[in-house]
Amino acid sequence: MSKPEYPEEILGSLEEYNIDIRDFLPGHGKGAKLLLDFNKISGLEQVEGVILKGREIENGIVADIIIKEGTKIEDPVHLCFGVNKEKGIQEIFPRIIAEDNTEVTVQAHCSFPKANGLIHKMFGHFYIGKNCNFTYSETHYHGENSGALVAPVGYIYVGENSIFENNFNLTRGTPGMVKIMIDIYAMKNSVIKSNIRAFGKCKKDSIRIRDSVFLEGENARSIIKMKAAAKDGGEVLMYGITEGNAPRCNGHVECSEIVLGKGSICRARPFIRAIDPTSSVSHEASLGRFPQKWLDELQAKGLTEEEATQILIEAMLQEE
Amino acid sequence: MILEVKDLTIPTLDQECVIINKVSFGVKERSIHAIIGPNGSGKSTLAYTIMGLPNYKPSAGKIYFDGIDITNLSITERAKLGITLAWQEPARIDGLSIPKYISLGIKDKENTKDLIREALEIVNLEPERYMKRTIDESLSGGERKRVELAAAIAMRPRLIILDEPDSGLDFIVIEDFLNIFGKIKGLNMTILLITHREDIGMVADYGTLIWRGDSLLTDEFPKVMLKYCAKAGLKEFCKRKLFNGKEACFDEDYIDRIFREEQDL
Repeated sequence: MSKPEYPEEILGSLEEYNIDIRDFLPGHGKGAKLLLDFNKISGLEQVEGVILKGREIENGIVADIIIKEGTKIEDPVHLCFGVNKEKGIQEIFPRIIAEDNTEVTVQAHCSFPKANGLIHKMFGHFYIGKNCNFTYSETHYHGENSGALVAPVGYIYVGENSIFENNFNLTRGTPGMVKIMIDIYAMKNSVIKSNIRAFGKCKKDSIRIRDSVFLEGENARSIIKMKAAAKDGGEVLMYGITEGNAPRCNGHVECSEIVLGKGSICRARPFIRAIDPTSSVSHEASLGRFPQKWLDELQAKGLTEEEATQILIEAMLQEE
Repeated sequence: MILEVKDLTIPTLDQECVIINKVSFGVKERSIHAIIGPNGSGKSTLAYTIMGLPNYKPSAGKIYFDGIDITNLSITERAKLGITLAWQEPARIDGLSIPKYISLGIKDKENTKDLIREALEIVNLEPERYMKRTIDESLSGGERKRVELAAAIAMRPRLIILDEPDSGLDFIVIEDFLNIFGKIKGLNMTILLITHREDIGMVADYGTLIWRGDSLLTDEFPKVMLKYCAKAGLKEFCKRKLFNGKEACFDEDYIDRIFREEQDL
């Protein structure tokens, strides 16, 4: 499929993130691609070293993405899960396998610009082999009506000496109801970096994210960074969980949340546990508003308090 | 006068003590005017109050900018009139890029990129090295201060308040900063320089001595510095710096007279 027909509303929907999905369509760029238009596969392109397979099921797809042993690819594998309808159910069951000694970035874009009663569910399994460098970045846009219910679940196994980076970004548009659960199992000498960014903007927005890292291998290391803002009645609850279950493993959880406007709620619950006496796990959490000094500094450049706050929110939620 | 402070009294936040007591002075346009005094004398409080920070409200007195009473204006309104402040210890904010930060106060949006580059060059930061960085902990103290100055310069304000720009910097860097102040003045901006160091103040045309919350003297800077030394009893230091040093301004008899007058008081 060299020129798939893909809804224009979805193609342009991530512009505020400075992402143009057109750059990732089949026929553009060199990376492997899988495009889903609601429950139909509308584009699929493979590259050497990457097996991409998808099968349509009643409400979505089952997909296999396999990075063959030793494959190192610069161009990201692109997954686009778009729905250009108000209502419906989209279910994704991906299985991602990165065989040993691979280096790859997977960029997933989930765009539901018209969502108003739409349900998107994902149940993903990731297997990252030994000596891999794997980055998974997921950017979401759920329209402006707080009309989506989005519930992804991910189980991720990270093999020995591998680096796994997870980036989740939901900072543009209105999220609606979001429930995310991620469990990452880190083996010997592996490194886990997980960055979560979310912004609830009104009463109808409720975001609950549980990001867990289980340090199961000796010298495994992890850092979870969760940053969120809630305004005008929005609600964000973040659980950052790290367990140190192996010798000399080291984990850290960091939650920062900003509350703006009446009725907004931010809750952060870092949960850490160490069962090996040589392991080290720490956490820090901060909730509230931006320091007055930061606002003063920006206002001394001519910004109003609202403008200064917006700049600070954007900075805080910036992807790293 | 671009700035006039009249009988300004600033209490602590709980209103229990007075930090600045009936202070008055004026700042000439396109000059460097130093506010000098020992630590704890109220210099920074004065700077924040002139900028209009919400936690620094005068209980009496007036502040005029270009003849307009700005005493009750907000920090944003004052900035829009052409006042800005470069902080002693500017904040470090993850995710806020240097070009974005510098661009915040730029009014000429069509030339934002050029103005950012120019501002970085004025403060001796290579634009190529700093355009992709953020104002976070990865910047050294000196770099962060330069970025702060660049952001102030890019605004093209009429008055820049520099709060202790020398704090935490070594002497080689300070020399560089003094040159930067000269460049700022060359851009037709007025500098209100808050400092407790005479070597920083020596770039100033005029000065005001703040001593325990009172303004004791506003005059040409060397005279103000001499008064400061006399108040602090630093005669030898004063002779070395002001008489025998390269900034020699007064003969020894004059210095002796000023110190005698201070002792008589």
